Amino acid sequence: MDMSFFESKMGRGLLFGGLTICLLLTPTFVTDIYILSIFNLMIIYAILCMGLNLILGFTGLLSLGHAAFYGIGAYTTAILMTRFGFGFVAAFCASAVLAMIAGIIIALPTRKVRGDYFCLITLAFGEIFRLVATSWIEFTRGAMGIVGIPIPKIFGLQIVTETHFYYLGLGILTFTYLTLRAITKTRYGRAFIAIREDELAADTMGINTSIYKIMAFSIGCLYAGMAGSFLAVYQTAVTPSNFRLEESCLMIIMVIVGGMGRNLFAPLAGVAVMTVATEVFRSTAEYRMLIIGLIMILVLLIRPQGIFGSSSFKN
Amino acid sequence: MLGEVILVGVMVGAVYALVTVGYSMVFGILKLMNFAHGDTYIFGTLICLTLLAKYNIHPVLAILIAAIAGGGLAFLVELLVYRRLRAPQHRLISMITALGAAYVVQNISELQWGNQVMSFPSIVESKFVTLLGLQVSVTHIITLFVAVLCIAVLILFMRYSRYGKAIDCVSQDMDAASLMGIPINRVVSSVYFMGGVLGVVGGVLYSSAYNAVSLGMGFRGTLIAFTAAVIGGIGSLGGALLGGMILGLSENLIGVYVSSSYRDPLLYSLLIIMLLVKPTGILGNSDQTKV
Amino acid sequence: MPILETRDVTKRFGGLVAVNQVCMTVNNNEILGIIGPNGAGKTSFINALTGIYKPSSGQVFFQDKEITGLPAYKIAKQGISRTFQNLRVFSNISVLENVLIGAHCRIDNPFHHIFLRPLRSRKIEHQAYEKVIALLKNVGLEEKKETLAKNLAYGEQRILEICRALASDPQLLILDEPCAGMNSMEMDTLADFVKKLRNEGNTIVVIEHNMRFMMTVSDRIIVMTAGAKFREGTPEEIRNDLEVQKVYLGEQEAERC
Repeated sequence: MDMSFFESKMGRGLLFGGLTICLLLTPTFVTDIYILSIFNLMIIYAILCMGLNLILGFTGLLSLGHAAFYGIGAYTTAILMTRFGFGFVAAFCASAVLAMIAGIIIALPTRKVRGDYFCLITLAFGEIFRLVATSWIEFTRGAMGIVGIPIPKIFGLQIVTETHFYYLGLGILTFTYLTLRAITKTRYGRAFIAIREDELAADTMGINTSIYKIMAFSIGCLYAGMAGSFLAVYQTAVTPSNFRLEESCLMIIMVIVGGMGRNLFAPLAGVAVMTVATEVFRSTAEYRMLIIGLIMILVLLIRPQGIFGSSSFKN
Repeated sequence: MLGEVILVGVMVGAVYALVTVGYSMVFGILKLMNFAHGDTYIFGTLICLTLLAKYNIHPVLAILIAAIAGGGLAFLVELLVYRRLRAPQHRLISMITALGAAYVVQNISELQWGNQVMSFPSIVESKFVTLLGLQVSVTHIITLFVAVLCIAVLILFMRYSRYGKAIDCVSQDMDAASLMGIPINRVVSSVYFMGGVLGVVGGVLYSSAYNAVSLGMGFRGTLIAFTAAVIGGIGSLGGALLGGMILGLSENLIGVYVSSSYRDPLLYSLLIIMLLVKPTGILGNSDQTKV
Repeated sequence: MPILETRDVTKRFGGLVAVNQVCMTVNNNEILGIIGPNGAGKTSFINALTGIYKPSSGQVFFQDKEITGLPAYKIAKQGISRTFQNLRVFSNISVLENVLIGAHCRIDNPFHHIFLRPLRSRKIEHQAYEKVIALLKNVGLEEKKETLAKNLAYGEQRILEICRALASDPQLLILDEPCAGMNSMEMDTLADFVKKLRNEGNTIVVIEHNMRFMMTVSDRIIVMTAGAKFREGTPEEIRNDLEVQKVYLGEQEAERC
């Protein structure tokens, strides 16, 4: 495919401008609540996957527990808003920070542990989170989940309809994109890539690889916390089943299908494809895991760099 | 009380050891985290259940057929999913495809058997005998016996047969083994087959000891096998035995004396702590990266 | 005045002594060659200097500061930069980004500035970009700055690796077998390049097997064998040293010479 037009400055500007207008006007064209709710779902996954791309695509760390950080964000918002009377903005910030702190703690082992073992740690952490959320009934209300999360208010504005949530989500997504772009364009983004490409060489370039790995991981988790917080007020309920290993896998697949690495938008293609696919196959829900599993295998066997991917996996 | 708990722990430990040995061998040979291990052996266990409950086949024959089915499935997964991603630079990619394979296998089992907990018939009559003053179930003793027997046979096979030595060579250095004329693909396939067979035997023993089987046990089984393998020293036979034993014992002690709902979180915490403190495990040896 | 000094640096792997009590100095603005047969411990010695291995005993001083056992990234920040014998460029990214990563520790752009002082942050990044472009021009890779590193010719990848090491403005540059896999023409180009770097004021340590390359490039040569320093002298002295020839070529060959 000839990408030169999109890589020129004008082409890019046009593309961005058109895309922005389209995204802003979507709710005026799309009046069907169901379709709009799918857009909102995509926005949540888009935030998650942009963050995950920093971990997986840039730094080359495989996290099988991303859903847990998403869950930490959701539960923090749910608990703070239902039990402690927090407003949405405060709960949102707290969720993001808490998810990031959890990310720092979980990423600490990367200093010592090899890549595939680290992956196991994230997997175990994800399972621990889900099991604790199910078992700690006094705090999380167990498998029933927390319901009745109040309507969020932002500076006096009530967020109620799908359209409201769409704009709120778009705002968070824009924030995610802009901050990630700012980070990845500097020496920090390059340091993450260097770690993915060759950790030892990165070390001898003066990059403190352990700190940078923790940094990339926890920043990715920060966005997961935001997405979780958004999910909590959007669904007005959270249950442990929202944050299963399956969700982590789905996110990884979205990132891989879209393409990991430099292109921050690439994972979004995966988000769109996978969200639409799961909706289309909703009637055949009993085949859901079969389909996800097959996509996981086939994509990696046939085109590991994804649809728009620039880089392949760490080697 | 404590005596019984420890005895059940030892029984569970032996079964875990059996499952872990299969997993650890597979890891040792390709250095690949086979996430489909648990789901594969649950598949076999469910086949055994169908054979026993529906067709009333003799238990030994049923286990044999189920074990071959499970082994065959493991063989197929390796052939179709892992083989092309065998090179070490694909290690992370193959972890994801392994997860995908786990989902596919799990979903296929779910389509056939559903995902609820099913009762599993006792293979032997459940009787209790008094042994050294402890109330002991016969099923548990037989389970322990069969698990130990399987492991002993495996160890003898690995140590004294030509094939066992070939497996050892391949897991130490695949390229060199290939140059020595060892048929790599055949060895890898057979290790996966054996891992599957041992897993199914473990799964059937576990299910019949507890009279229950469910799909959820598959992925849990994978994680248990990981944890046990990491604790003992991943890739090492003795380590798998030790790890399985430690895990079986601590699982029962935690379940009885702490809380059964925090049993699994505590076991997974053990995995994380072990990876942090001594990632090579109790019996594993470290490897220094060459620059 | 020496820029780098090692005192009795030793590295053991289990029972094996890879580096045995090596004392040496590197003077400012010289090219020091380290030669020795395979397994003489040259690379292990360099790894112990640059923080990839921790020395088992002994001390390393760099610009009068002790750097023994510091982690690699700290040593890189102090101003020692290196290349690898088995070529470790970042293959899936562009030449430009490779070199920019090399400049990482000289880009003074704290993380919070990205958001709190975006203009300053952008300016600093742009300065780094211009510096790197100048460096690429200097080595003749400017036109290929957008090429992925893995698509460069082998010799170019070697140059890129050196260029990446230079981007951190090192006080000391260590080249680990820069000629490995090169043909003699590429080797001559490289020799000129290394000499040019020295003339521009760099201090360089080169490890190499290839005697011809070492004799043309080095100002001073250290011979290592079995992990220990064996001889030290000018290329002329080393060339005429019978003992060195024995170590290098084996007894019979040396007699024939």
